Formats: sequence, structure tokens, C-alpha cells
Amino acid sequence: MPNIENRVREGDANLADSHVLEGVELSKTYEPPWPDWVPMGRRVGVLEGAEITIDAGEIVGIVGENGAGKSTLMQILVGALAPDAGDVRRSGQVGWCPQEPLLYDRLTVRETFRLFGTAYGMDDEAIVAARDQYADRLGFAEFLDYRIDHLSGGNRQKINLSVALMHDPDVLLLDEPYTGFDWETYLEFWELTEELTERGTAIAIISHFVSERERFDRILELADGRLTDVTDGGPKDAASADPRGVSADD
Amino acid sequence: MTEALDLKTGASPARRLSAGIGAQIRAFVRTPINVVLLVVLPLVVVEGYGVAMAAFPQLPFVDTGTLAEMGRVNGAIYSVAFFAGVLGLFQVISARQADERLRICGYSRSELFASRLITVALGSLIITGAALAVLWWNVPPEAPLFAFGALALAALVYGLIGMLVGAVLPRALEGSLVMVFLVDFDDFLSSGLLDIDSPILPLFPLHFPHKLFRSAVFDGSVALGNAAAGVTYVLVTGVVALLVYVRLTGNGGELA
Repeated sequence: MPNIENRVREGDANLADSHVLEGVELSKTYEPPWPDWVPMGRRVGVLEGAEITIDAGEIVGIVGENGAGKSTLMQILVGALAPDAGDVRRSGQVGWCPQEPLLYDRLTVRETFRLFGTAYGMDDEAIVAARDQYADRLGFAEFLDYRIDHLSGGNRQKINLSVALMHDPDVLLLDEPYTGFDWETYLEFWELTEELTERGTAIAIISHFVSERERFDRILELADGRLTDVTDGGPKDAASADPRGVSADD
Repeated sequence: MTEALDLKTGASPARRLSAGIGAQIRAFVRTPINVVLLVVLPLVVVEGYGVAMAAFPQLPFVDTGTLAEMGRVNGAIYSVAFFAGVLGLFQVISARQADERLRICGYSRSELFASRLITVALGSLIITGAALAVLWWNVPPEAPLFAFGALALAALVYGLIGMLVGAVLPRALEGSLVMVFLVDFDDFLSSGLLDIDSPILPLFPLHFPHKLFRSAVFDGSVALGNAAAGVTYVLVTGVVALLVYVRLTGNGGELA
């Protein structure tokens, strides 16, 4: 099966209907590991039947209040956390940029790319090409030999994002990806996402709020454990809505 | 314009393992406290135990070596067990979340475990060499190779216990306290300084390494039964640590 980029180039008619990522009836509750009568910790319901689909070439914003469960949802979608109920279907490679840069503090930037590139199954040439490409675009070329724990928060976030992008994934899940970016890098980030979506990459971005709605194809709000489509201001079922914001019933 | 990177070839498990171990070793030597402990701990503990024990009168049931020599032998065991235990603990907890990301990116849980275990094993061998060298200064072992093996066994079993504690209790302070008390208690009960006759003693991790080490240092002999029991203990602990690690890292730290 040709990859998503080639299918976009070939004008695959079925591409619009293909979900690169689908979460069905996702539920998750955090429970303390001891019985209820032990007065330590408490049960917190986060997701209750949340549904989401992300299609090739679209960019989806996921918003919600603090503690709404956005990061939990993303961890479940990427496979870092198991849901209590429901199912996640992924097609193609996933790139994950977690909210906190999950990197090894004592490694240099160069070593970090080598480690994660090896994890992705890239050879040395591909790792160097990806590293240099994103170092140039996001502006961290002069920090390649710096240890991660010696970088500023913004530069660490650039590495965090680049590690998610370096293997050219089919679907990108980004949790507050531009936290700490300066204005230039912020604009570069959006330029990068546009290029990626043009090539067929699906992108989901988690944010507390979406200030530039026009950059998103759809905006989903997570509240009370469920996702609703609020692209046009009104709530719609997230899974049945059209990727471009048109209701399935229209 | 972003270029599509189409050079993916797939990495062999050996390449992933090598990259993982290399990263762990770099992280280890770049943590100053690790290097300081590696040098200072054997020296302070072996000599400290020796000097402290020399102040006591000879005990009637201690029939091998002087109390000062016994103290240094116990110090050697304590230093390798404590260092390896703490190393195992921090190998698991310090990189726990980044490991989760690495797993999402393509590492299997067993590859992650293996890379941590090999790093712990290397650290255990280095601390074993350091502790034996310090011991040799005042107490030359009768059978140095067997003594090294017994000491390495003590380090390995506690390296694995450290990984196990790190997987179940992923907190630096609490995990470190568990390791301190466990190693201290175990070393004391297994040391032969007390005339204890209890069926639960062989269950302590240092019981067989201690017996092996004392006989290798003082008599130059090795009891094969003790060696087999010690190796079996390490293997069983390794399997338990692997199973717990795999279960925990597969579900965001929650036991499935």
C-alpha cells in the first residue's frame, strides 16, 4: 500500500474517507490502587465515551479547560496509556510531541536525535538529514552539542517537536507544541504544519485555547469526558463531523 | 519546503540495544554523584566498617578472620550491593517517562529493560572491582577470582532489586530509603557476625553471596551448592524484575 504522501500525489479518491487515527468510545478513570475506604487518593473520571477521527491532510485543534483530560486523550491515542474502554485504530506512523519534553537530560541534542532516530528505524544518514533539516528550520543548529538539561525551555521544546517530526510520520499528535517558542519559531512552526498537511500528514494539536482558528480545519472541545466539534462555534458530534467542519447531516 | 525523508531502513534489535546502552552509559558518567560514589563509597565503607569492627572484642562464634577483617568483608558487600541497588533504582525511575516515549518510538519493553540491565551489570562489575581492590589493601583474598564472582553476584542481585523497586515505587526518596534499609538489614543478618539460626535467612538476597565471599576471601574455597543457589536467586530476581517492568511500562506506570 503506497504511503499517504504518494496517495495524495496520485489523487487517491478514497483518501478523504480514510481515517489515519480513530478513537472509538474511549473511557478512562484514574483510580487509586487501594480500596475506596483507604483515605488516600481519589477516583477521577477523565474520559467517558470520547470519540475522535483524524484524516490524512487535516489539522485538528483539541481544546479544553485545565484538567479536562486533553493530555490523557493524547496519551491514549498515541499508545502511552491504555484506555479502560474503547479502541484506538492507527494507520501509518505516529509522531508524538508530549506536553513535557520527554527527553534524556544528560544526552546532547546530537545524541538525542541518534537515539530516537534509531528507535524509529532510521539509518544514520536519514537521522543526520532529519536532524540538520529541523535544526536549520527551527533554529537550534548551534546547540547540537549541548546537553538537553543545559538548553533553555524554548530550545528544549524545539528538540521535543523535532523528535516527533524526524521520521516523517503520517499522523502527528502535538500537545501544546509551541510553548516557549519565540515569535519567529512560532510562525515557522505554522509554516511547517502547512507543508506537512499539504503532503498528507494528519495533525492534531492540543491547546488550552485556540487563538487563530483559521489555521485549523476542525476544532474539538473536550468537556465532561467527551469531544464535541466547535469549529463553527456550536457543538457537534466530533466523530461524525466532516473534517472540513461540515456536519455529516448537512 | 520540508523534504520527505525516505531513508527508513529499520533498525535491528542489536542496533537499538547498542544505542540504548550507549545512551545510558553516557548519562551515567555525566552524573557526577555516580562517579563520586563509585570512587568514594568502597573506600569509605570498607575501611569504615573495618575500623569500626576493630573496636569490638572478638566474638566466640566468629571463627574466620578478625573482626576488623570481617568488618571490611561486610563493608565490601555492603558497598557493592548499595551502589548497584541505587544504580538500578535510578536507571528505572530517572528515565521512566522518556523511556515511555522511546517505547512509543519503536523500542520494545524488553529492549528497554535489557539496555538498563546491561548498564546496571557494567556498573556492578566496576564497583565490584573497586571494592575488591580496597579490600585487598588490608585483606588479600585467598581466591581473588571467586571473591570477585561472589561480590559481583551481590551487586547483580541488588541491581535487579533496585530496578524492581524503581518499577514499583518510582520515587527517588522513597525508593532510596527502601534500598538503604534493605541492604543494611540484609548485610547485617547475612554477615555471619550474629549466630542466627532461622529458616528465613536463605531468603535474604545477600545470604548466599555473603557465604561465598567469606569462604573465597578467608579459605579460598567455593561451596558449589551456595554458588548454584546464589546464581538461581539472581536469575529468579531477574525474571521477576523483567515481568514487573514490562507490565508497568506498558500502561503508563499503572499495573494492568
